Amino acid sequence: MSLIVFLTSDEHFQDEWSRRQNMPEVRDWPEKLLPIIEEFSACFDSMERYELLFQYAKRNPSPLHPEEWNEQNQVLGCQSRAHVSCSLDDEGNFILRGGADAQIVQGLMTITAIALNGMDPSHVSAMTPDFAEEMGIKSSLSPSRANGFLNMFNRVKDEASLLSEGE
Amino acid sequence: MPLDVESIRSDFPILGRKLPNGKQLVYFDNAATSQKPQCVIDAMSKYYSEYNSNAHRANHTLADEATTALEGARMSISTFFGTSPDQMVYTSGATEAINLVSYAWARENLSADDVIVLTEMEHHADIVPWQQLSKEKGVEVRYVPIDTDSFTLDMDAFEVAVKGASLVCVVHTSNVLGIRNPIERIVELSHSQGARVLLDCAQGAPHERIRFDDSEVDFVAISAHKMGGPTGIGCLLVKKDAMEQMGPFMTGGSMIKTVSTDGSTFQVGHAMFETGTPRIAEAIGWGAAVEWLEQFDMKEVHSHINRIASWTAGRISEIEGITVYGDPSRNDSSGAVSFLHDSIQSQDLALLLDEGGFAVRTGHHCAQPLMNALGVPSTNRASFWLYNTMEEAEAFVDHLSYVADRFSDK
Repeated sequence: MSLIVFLTSDEHFQDEWSRRQNMPEVRDWPEKLLPIIEEFSACFDSMERYELLFQYAKRNPSPLHPEEWNEQNQVLGCQSRAHVSCSLDDEGNFILRGGADAQIVQGLMTITAIALNGMDPSHVSAMTPDFAEEMGIKSSLSPSRANGFLNMFNRVKDEASLLSEGE
Repeated sequence: MPLDVESIRSDFPILGRKLPNGKQLVYFDNAATSQKPQCVIDAMSKYYSEYNSNAHRANHTLADEATTALEGARMSISTFFGTSPDQMVYTSGATEAINLVSYAWARENLSADDVIVLTEMEHHADIVPWQQLSKEKGVEVRYVPIDTDSFTLDMDAFEVAVKGASLVCVVHTSNVLGIRNPIERIVELSHSQGARVLLDCAQGAPHERIRFDDSEVDFVAISAHKMGGPTGIGCLLVKKDAMEQMGPFMTGGSMIKTVSTDGSTFQVGHAMFETGTPRIAEAIGWGAAVEWLEQFDMKEVHSHINRIASWTAGRISEIEGITVYGDPSRNDSSGAVSFLHDSIQSQDLALLLDEGGFAVRTGHHCAQPLMNALGVPSTNRASFWLYNTMEEAEAFVDHLSYVADRFSDK
């Protein structure tokens, strides 16, 4: 006798319905994030969301290539490798360049860059990472998971704070 | 007699758990820590709810009951490992047991002229204490490489490395590769050189009945939590002549005989190494675990685990992009199956497996020298114990195939 019970697609649907019913009402994201959140919200299940995240990983608008990875730009506390470099463009707008060997972190990094690039650094430093939860990538937000997204996001905020102070 | 796995599973309430995404838990992270049978949970709960008290040196009823239970557990555990209670030192786990040998035996008996032999497949816990000792006392540390084709120890290199050695520290079964080392041959070669042998049995003890008095091994380090017991407790088994060469390590608490302003005297034997308040609840829990394990033939336990690991390794190695590290098809291999996919990063793969309900471990598994030898930064590792089933393994292979097909670079 099999000891394992797998969810049927009906149960999948109920799980997904329940997740969407429990979404927070407040949407205080940068405007560029809204279509992305909508795109993720339209996914059938978590595997489809991860698949979409893998696709975003390949579309980083401002990549930090592996040959540029070093100890200074490494995000500490990740088991996978993640590197970020934050700067301001000629007009003083925030630019995040990043790279990671894990596609899930890389995908979240891409979405973060799409959201933050061009913003005032003081606004970046006030951002929260809960858009990932809104997208249904909740597990990436758990600090006990060693996948690095939270560490990456906090590092970006810290650097944005320093840049906004003119350092 | 084959194991009645369905009956075994009924002793582990956690195995019925569903994850937050609604998926049935399939627990394949047993090399990191095993689940605990209900009797272990009950024994620890009973201690705290009915007779919680500090052990030893008291005349009240609760202290007497706690002391009896603590020492009763020592009797059960030492009997399970084929030795007497006076050759067993409670520690916090295998790591502390190895550090105890490093501090209480090696620092008393080794100097700059001595050689310690390790292997490339050691856990960090059996490398770093010896590197620290080398820094402090100038002891030479030699590493025996592995053959990266067979994933076994290079025994020709071992025969060279052991010449003139004073201590050989070797893992019984690799936590990454699942390979069981040729312990009997290693002990023979080591003793022929006059070297003592420390065996790290953290992974070996859940699979193979350790008969300490029947072996020639001098020190054995064991963790309870990988064999059904609680975290935070383990032991060091020590041969009597080796224990006589050991000096005090940590001081205070139970190891004290007398203290005056002129100095202190210490207990002798295992009591000298058990400082502070004992881990009473944990010892009682571990005692319950070994009493639970006593109902099984450990050879049957090993065969069951080996069969699942061997089958799983064979099937996942057929998935395009998957490489298996280790050789679970060997009859003496444990339940650890390490693998990597060539285009799905290990952390990503672990999350995608978790989405299907499968708990596997990912990382360097505290064995970075082995990862360097294998030329990889990390692996995914599924590891099985006696409550896992072929149905679970089949579901795992199906899910891994699905993930590999859907997420690999094409």
